[in-house]
Formats: sequence, structure tokens, C-alpha cells
Amino acid sequence: MRAARCLPSRPPVRRAGPVAFTATVAAMLATLVSPVFGQTSANDETDTCLTCHADDGLTVTFADGTSHPLKVDASMFAGSVHGANLKCTDCHAGFAEIPHAERQFTTLADFRASFREACKTCHFDNYTQSLDGVHYAILSKGNTKAPFCPDCHGSHAIQKPGIPRAAVSKTCAQCHRTLSETWAKSVHGKSLLEGHNQDTPVCTDCHRAHNIADPRSTAWLLDTPALCGKCHTNKALMDKYGLSSNVLQTYLADFHGMSASLAKNGRPPVHGRITALCIDCHGIHDIRRVDDPGSPVLKANLVKTCRKCHSGAPEAFPAAWLSHYEPSWQKAPLEYAVKLFYKVFIPFIISGLALQILLHLWRVVGHR
Amino acid sequence: MTDTFVRFTSRQRGEHLLVMTLFTMLAVTGFPQKFYASSWSHGMVTVFGGIERLRWVHRTAGILFALLTAWHIALVTLEVVRGKTRASLVPLKKDFTDAIVTLRYYLGLVDRQAAFDRFDYRQKFEYWGLLLGSMLMIVTGLILYLPLLAFRLFPGEFIPAAKVAHSNEGLMALLVVIIWHIYNAHLSPDVFPFDTSIFTGRISLHRMRHEHPLELERIAQPEPYAAIGRTDGQQGYPRLQAVMTLAAAPLLGALFVMFLPFVGVALVLKQGGAYCLALARRLLDRQTSS
Repeated sequence: MRAARCLPSRPPVRRAGPVAFTATVAAMLATLVSPVFGQTSANDETDTCLTCHADDGLTVTFADGTSHPLKVDASMFAGSVHGANLKCTDCHAGFAEIPHAERQFTTLADFRASFREACKTCHFDNYTQSLDGVHYAILSKGNTKAPFCPDCHGSHAIQKPGIPRAAVSKTCAQCHRTLSETWAKSVHGKSLLEGHNQDTPVCTDCHRAHNIADPRSTAWLLDTPALCGKCHTNKALMDKYGLSSNVLQTYLADFHGMSASLAKNGRPPVHGRITALCIDCHGIHDIRRVDDPGSPVLKANLVKTCRKCHSGAPEAFPAAWLSHYEPSWQKAPLEYAVKLFYKVFIPFIISGLALQILLHLWRVVGHR
Repeated sequence: MTDTFVRFTSRQRGEHLLVMTLFTMLAVTGFPQKFYASSWSHGMVTVFGGIERLRWVHRTAGILFALLTAWHIALVTLEVVRGKTRASLVPLKKDFTDAIVTLRYYLGLVDRQAAFDRFDYRQKFEYWGLLLGSMLMIVTGLILYLPLLAFRLFPGEFIPAAKVAHSNEGLMALLVVIIWHIYNAHLSPDVFPFDTSIFTGRISLHRMRHEHPLELERIAQPEPYAAIGRTDGQQGYPRLQAVMTLAAAPLLGALFVMFLPFVGVALVLKQGGAYCLALARRLLDRQTSS
């Protein structure tokens, strides 16, 4: 396809000499006084750009026939995190020259793509992390709908991310609507959205913001227990809600958890998931309180959850599972008794045998 | 008279080889699962190509081990029922007294070691420890392998309890083999560097004199089988007595396994206590005299 010229759709009215001249003089002055008045040049350049870009009617037409407004809300940019210290051309590199050089873009997406690396100059760490992310992965496979920096952070009106925290799920909901709605009804979502509890996780707390892993990958799945454990092993935090901070430890000591720990090595499991992870019993975005009547781990519902893997498990099968309790005389006396027995028996037998060996050596070698 | 005696039949030597191989395989594939958090476990899983393959090896070795144990018990039972064996591994009253005599000898309280028959009390301890431990490992292993089937036979709580028992009993078995068996078969000054009799099947006259004098005596002057109970002239051991011995053997074995370390600890504590008392008395005497 032949790329068309990308130019403002109508001849700019005020792009003539005097303004440009003033801007140049201002820029020269700014350079001279910049050690003292470093910010002046940014403000002056912004003013220069706004001479045209404050105009509602300013649009650009792309080769595919679509047009896009070029108006920038000056107060919005001034109020953004960058308002005080960036000037337009810091991001819009190559647009310092007025009038702008002609450029060829087929679509708005093409045009936006030309700014894909604009943030890299300052935010190199986050940019590099995003290269490991799932969004970049689908982009590199040719999906132009894959989001990059401004799709989540915005462009001219960028604010500090995650303030308020509920804003994060709204950002992700632009594309992941169903998941976001499910999360909003979960124990985590409700607590944040209805209870305004800032302890609860939003999307990025689990999925990360830039190096977002593919949640279907085995490596990610096998890491989920540690992920949940980030909060659920924090005693101070869990005590606040009357929750046990021992859940990860008891899971890992169980057959399922032990398998999950070891499954990270060697070949990935042949049959998809090798073992039950936190999310297999508790759910993912739809996690409920364990005493919620709809919770999949509530005693009445538990056998159905077990049957997801142990097909044909009898009604009483959950009795084989200790519900994250440490064995004690009250909970699981049999297991506790066996544990206690070996705690005494192993040292007893081994020390008895070691004693006999030492005595034998003492007699045979030293005192025959 | 020959220099060596036949100590083990080829079947017994084969059984030992199989137990040795399977035990090693089970330990190598079992302990990474017990110590799932340590880095060498993860390395071992990688060597086997993943947890699924490691478990496949562990379970296959476990099933073979169970078959071997069943075969051994069946053969021994048959021999005892037919009256073809002396059942020389059954713990007797003499073993309990032998253990005490030996420990007193080690401590220097008596001058002569106890005289042993075909198997001394330490060998019986190891045999019964292995047999009883294996049975526990096989039952708990099968519970973990087939939790749904196990659930039909036992209450649900047996499944997590079986896991604890399997893992701890396995650790104990490994420690007993590493500490006790390796000492007695390799490191003990009596046999160093290698007691080869379980592989060659033969034992020297010298060792027979020292370690199994009662058996040597019996071989030198073979008593007729009739002398120990049979009157009908047929070759063999008394059947009823043998069957009853066999039935009681596991219980006796269990008692014996638990008794032995107890004796060791008790005797050492007693002797150590007496030594400390004597030392204290001597020190007191010295102080009063000066």
C-alpha cells in the first residue's frame, strides 16, 4: 500500500514567521540563562506548540482516510507528572522544527507506534522489563492491538500510577473487562472497591506491571503459591483479618505443595498441571472468603473441588486433607501421634546404634 | 576340614543384591521428595528429567520391592511349614541376654564375648528391622500411590498419616543402613574393609570360630534332626513348633528391634553414671585428705 503524506488537514493559520522567530529568540535566551532559570525553556516551548495545538479544529489525516484531532489540553499536561519538567519535544522527538517535516503514516496505530520507544530515554528499567512482558510478546508476533506505555499510563495526562489503587483494575479493564468484573466480585475486589481497604491486591500486585508473565505458562503457574504467599505468609497482615499465616507452609508440606516445588525442575509436566496449586482449589480472580457459601473450599463444596482431579472421589474424601491445619491432638491426632513417635524413635534408635558402634570400637581398638 | 563354609545360598545372595539395588533406587528417588526445599533435591529431580519421571522410577522400584518382600515371606513361610529350616533368625531369649553380655563386654565388665549361633543378635536386629520396616513402607507407599483405593479401606486420616510414616520410616531406614549396616559390613575392625560373605556365599573358618562358634560346633558334630523333637524318623524340624514360631516371629522381631537400642542406652547411662560417681568420690577424697 502506498503511504500517504501525513499533514495537518487544513493549512495552519498561524504557523508563519513571527511566532517561530519569537520561539527561537526565547530558546536562545533560555539557553543563556538556563543555569538559573532551567524551566523557562520547557514552558516557552510548550507555549510555542500550543499556538497551534490548542486549536480544536486541528486534525491530521492518515493514508487510510481516518483523521485524528491534534488538540492538546494544556492544563491537563501542566497537571501531569511531567508537566513541570518535560517539554513537548522530549517525547515528540523530531517535531521541534516548525513547520513539521512531512511524515508518512498509514494509520493512527502506525503513528502511535513511532512513539513506542519515547519513554525509554528516562524510564529505561520499566521499558526493558516490558520487553519480557506478555504484551510485548504478542506485539512482536504482529498483534498491533498489544498495549504499550501510553495505553495504560495515558499520554499527556499521566499521573502517578496506582493512585488510587482501584484505578489499576480500571486500566486493565479497558481490555480485560470480564476478568476485572470477576475480580470486583471476589473477596479481594470487594474489599478494595466497597471497603476501600488498601491492603488488598489489584491486578498488578499479582501479574506485575511491566514484565507481566503469560499466566498460562507452567513456570508462572508453579510460582503462584509463592505469589499468594507474599501476603498470606505476612503474619502482621494476616492477623489483621484473623487469617492464618501458615497456609503456604502447610501447603508445601503436603503432597500437592511438595510436587509443585519439585515440578519446576526437568521437563515440564506432560499432563498439563502436575498438581493442585492454591488457585485450583481457591479460584483465581473469583476467590471468595473460605466461609462464603459459594466458596469451593467450604466443607460442603470441597469434594466437588477434589473431584476436579480425583475423579470419582467418595463423599468423605476431603477427610484426607487437613485444611491447612498443623497436625495436633485436636486436629488429626493420628498424624500427630505418628509424627511424635518418630520424633522420639529415630533419635533413640540411631543414638543407640551409634553408641554400640563407639563402644565396639573403644573395646576392640583401644582396650582389647 | 575346609577353610571356608557355605553361609548363604544363591537365592539368599540374589535377594540381598536385589534389596541393595532397589533400596538405593528408592532412597535416591524418595529423599528428593522428602526434602523438597533443598537444592540437591531439585538437582536430583533434574537428573531424572522431572518429578513425574522420578516418581515413576520410585513407584516402579517400590512395586518390585513389594514383590520381592512378598516372595521372601512366602518362601520362608513355606520352608517353615514344611519343616525345612531351623528358622535361625527368630529372636530367642538367648539374643536378649547376648545383647547384654556383649555390651558388658564392650564396657569391660566381662572378659569374654558371648558365643553366637548362625546369626548374632545384631544380625537378627537388622533382619527384623528391615522386614518390619519394609512392610510398613509398602503399606504406606501403596496408600500414597492409590489414595482413592486406600480411602475405601481406611479412614481418611490414614492418608496424611501414611505420608508422615512413610517419610520418617524411610529416613530411619537410610540412617540405619548408613550408620549400622555400613559399619558392620565394611568399617568394623572385624571385617574391614569388606565382609564379602553375602556376595560369595562363603565365610572363613577363622571367622566362624570367632563369630559363630555355636554353629561351627553343630556343623562339626551334626546332631540328628530327631534330637530336636522329631521321633518318626523323617528328616525335618517339628512342624507345629515351627509354625507357631513363625506366627510369633513378627511380634518377637518388633520387640527385639525396640529392645536393642534401649539396652545400649541404658547400659551406657548406668556405666557412665557409675564412672561419674567414682570420679566425684575420688575428687572428694583428695580434697578431704589434703
